[in-house]
Amino acid sequence: MERARVEQQPAATGATLVVAVGLGVAFLLFMAFLNVVKSGNLLNDSNLLYAALIFYSGAGTLYLGFGITGTPSYIRFASIATCAGLLANTGAVARRWYEAGHPPFASIYEMLLMFVWTLAVLTLIAEKKYGVKVIGTVTMPVAIVGVVLMQLLRTEVRPLVPALQSTWLHVHVTLAMLAYAACALSFALAMMFLIQDKMKTETFLAGTSVFSILTYLGVLTRFEKWGGLSVVACNPEEKSEAFLSRGVRLFVVIPDLGWLLLLVLAAVAAPLVLYLIWRKTHNEGMLEMANRAVFLSILLQVLALVFFLLRTRGGVYPSLDADGLFPTALAASPFILSGLVGAIFVSLLYLLLLWRRTDLERMLPKADELDRITYKTIAIAFPLLTLMIAAGAYWANRTWGSYWSWDPKETWAAITWLVYAGYLHMRITRGWRGRRAAYFAILGFAVVMFTFFGVTYLLPGMHAYA
Amino acid sequence: MAASVPRKIWQTLAAIKTGVVLLILVVILSAAGTLILQRPATDPDEMQRAYSPQVLHLLAGLGLTDVFHAWWFVLLLSLVSLSIIAASVQRFPNAWRFFSRPYKSPDETFCKALPNHKLIPIKNKDEETAVSAAEQVLEKAGFRPERIVRENSFSLFGERNRFSEMAVYIVHASLLLIFLGSNIDALLGWRGFVTLTRGQESSQVKPQNGSPRSLPFAVRCDGAGQENYADGTPKRWWSDLSVLENGKVTLRKQIVVNDPLVYRGIRFYQASYGQTGKIDKLLLTAIPRDGQSSKDVTLGLEETVPLDADASVRLAEFIPDYVVSDGQVYARSTQLENPAAHLIVTSKKSGQSINVWLPPIPGLEQNSSSPYAFEGKDVQMAYFTGLEVSHEPGQWAVWAGVVLMGIGLTVVFYFVHTRIWVIPVRNTRGQLQLWIGGTANKNKDAFEHRFRDLADRIESELKTSVETGAEAPAAVLAGK
Repeated sequence: MERARVEQQPAATGATLVVAVGLGVAFLLFMAFLNVVKSGNLLNDSNLLYAALIFYSGAGTLYLGFGITGTPSYIRFASIATCAGLLANTGAVARRWYEAGHPPFASIYEMLLMFVWTLAVLTLIAEKKYGVKVIGTVTMPVAIVGVVLMQLLRTEVRPLVPALQSTWLHVHVTLAMLAYAACALSFALAMMFLIQDKMKTETFLAGTSVFSILTYLGVLTRFEKWGGLSVVACNPEEKSEAFLSRGVRLFVVIPDLGWLLLLVLAAVAAPLVLYLIWRKTHNEGMLEMANRAVFLSILLQVLALVFFLLRTRGGVYPSLDADGLFPTALAASPFILSGLVGAIFVSLLYLLLLWRRTDLERMLPKADELDRITYKTIAIAFPLLTLMIAAGAYWANRTWGSYWSWDPKETWAAITWLVYAGYLHMRITRGWRGRRAAYFAILGFAVVMFTFFGVTYLLPGMHAYA
Repeated sequence: MAASVPRKIWQTLAAIKTGVVLLILVVILSAAGTLILQRPATDPDEMQRAYSPQVLHLLAGLGLTDVFHAWWFVLLLSLVSLSIIAASVQRFPNAWRFFSRPYKSPDETFCKALPNHKLIPIKNKDEETAVSAAEQVLEKAGFRPERIVRENSFSLFGERNRFSEMAVYIVHASLLLIFLGSNIDALLGWRGFVTLTRGQESSQVKPQNGSPRSLPFAVRCDGAGQENYADGTPKRWWSDLSVLENGKVTLRKQIVVNDPLVYRGIRFYQASYGQTGKIDKLLLTAIPRDGQSSKDVTLGLEETVPLDADASVRLAEFIPDYVVSDGQVYARSTQLENPAAHLIVTSKKSGQSINVWLPPIPGLEQNSSSPYAFEGKDVQMAYFTGLEVSHEPGQWAVWAGVVLMGIGLTVVFYFVHTRIWVIPVRNTRGQLQLWIGGTANKNKDAFEHRFRDLADRIESELKTSVETGAEAPAAVLAGK
């Protein structure tokens, strides 16, 4: 069946891209260095992070270049750039640890720092040990986004509230980060399996659209009657979230953001609608329009993101619960930000698949190998999940006197555990392989995402820290 | 033969499908329990704000407002435990047979069907040399090969990590242990709260609902405090606790959040800390009017302290946040915002009582008549420490289960049961060959490589054993 293809991007030749990236990295580093020399302090937190960002950007560009053209030398340089970025990142982690006096686990900023670090480590492991060379195309852009997010968040060291001052906290959070990273990796591998298993590009289109719809629906739970979006207010002197009373956050309404996001919702839903029409009528033109709709939706999503960024970083807004105008901050809405950025990223990945599918298929390992590696990754993730839950229970027992209180986060962590246990059971005792196993792995990761983001954003509870 | 009803029930319970269905139900109901507001944690008025009366009535009637303690949820979890037990018991005999009776000499059908095998021709050697060569290689690879001798033949059998076949039962048993522990706690465990001010002791614990519970010992607070960071947020809450049994102190500990006091299986956690709104101690400087040296006085509420041979002072009232209205002093709040102290100075000689107010309140104060002037130095408010108390006798089963599960999972995923057989055979032309076969219970693709590697090493070991001076072979004919 003729598949509609948007025009191919011209591929750069091998050496040109490497040189261009090399020059770019060198230039940015030099500029940063000049700036640093002016201010005096070389190896502080944010400079190291900035260096990491530059290296990860270079690596991401080269991975993307490899993804598009297949030139092997890109991978070599991309690996080197990733290593350099990892070094700078490790430096930032060490510096943060030293300044805070405790391992970096207490705030969103610190957790992002560790997450980005873990992504870089896993990218190198996946490449060297498992030979999955393209994984950088996925992980490095996520790492870049992570570092950018960190630059936008408040960075000063928040002292730990009494409940968080425990070694078991560090153990629990480390295990959580490792487990979630392994689950994310298994998800990426399952996706690659579906590509290699010749799942139709249209199905990916539908999947991307469904994911985007769910994300924007989640964000839009904060839609207010007059078209605004509720976000958490911030307290500028204390540089923290603003509270109405103990445990109850103060929300402000950013006007018009709700309408804009509704528009974006329609834009990301359009590809799915067109896909369904195509399924019914077999009109190829519908599919072509669907792909164009994805492209259009990306533009709209970026617009919404910029609007959101501009509005949160300046201006004061009214609240429905209190009189007066209050400011907000990007740091107060990490989930909305992640949702917007994540959705854009997923749509971009779909475009990559659409334009370069044959190249991707050439460069990725075979389907059954990917299937096996997915299983091995989950075989690592599952014990980590188990230990994470156990460590969390032990910490809760020492702090609040109860190792299991059916708190939403605890319950969803248990659900995640059960889903992955289901995957393992189906695979080991029922011999589930291939497509079914891949779907299960994707379901597992969806539950992980809900546990990690959805519970804190959409449901209240004691797990208010992160 | 028709299966009896109990047998049918047992088989349904032991089926994997049952387990899957039960787990899906657990997932759906648990998720519902996080999405619907749950009763003990949420206030009734918040529930009424969130749901309309009809919806609330429906949810409460179905038990969905307290899912995790509803009888049907407990029943569901019990069914899950039963299905794990049934499935394990049903499969265990076979697994145990496999585990306890190693398949040391494989028959022909098995050998033919085995995917990983290799035939190595044995040239100019006898069976003994060949098998010894293989034995050496297997020994070095950690297989501890064993010679199986039968009337007409002998062979080698080596294996590693046999115990990993049982690991899955360990994992499931550990899960049951965890369930057992949490059930014990659900039935026999309890939680409550006790609030103590400094010096106060109590043996009563207030549970969330129900009457207070008496402990066989008392806990006394000898001191408590809070440390803050520079920006005012709490850094540390601590309490000095003493345990008293029959009037004697048996244990002392300073507890902080994350570090409870444990006594006879009962745990006391530092949960909160705050002001009672009452004063603990007022520190004053008493300055005599006759110019003599001033002295420091510390007063508790209603406490009388002598100032000299004649006069004494008593703290009659202390208002942390006072306001005057219509000539009366009122307390605006219990926060230490605007304190006022009412002292009464009594003279033994004259029998007079003079009202001293700090700060002086017009209409009430008689400060100028007092033989002493007073200056406030410090106010120490009374604090209470809030302790969470819990008794969880089943938690040891839970932690033991967790450790066991860790071990079980490690063995399940990372210890591969590998078996190698080496059998000298003759092909149709009567030539001697060494048949090597192997199998592993997981990671079969990695094992393929390892097996090939092993077979190659046996082959090269075989070759070199020729060169190290083995004699020209005696004819090896059947009959051994």
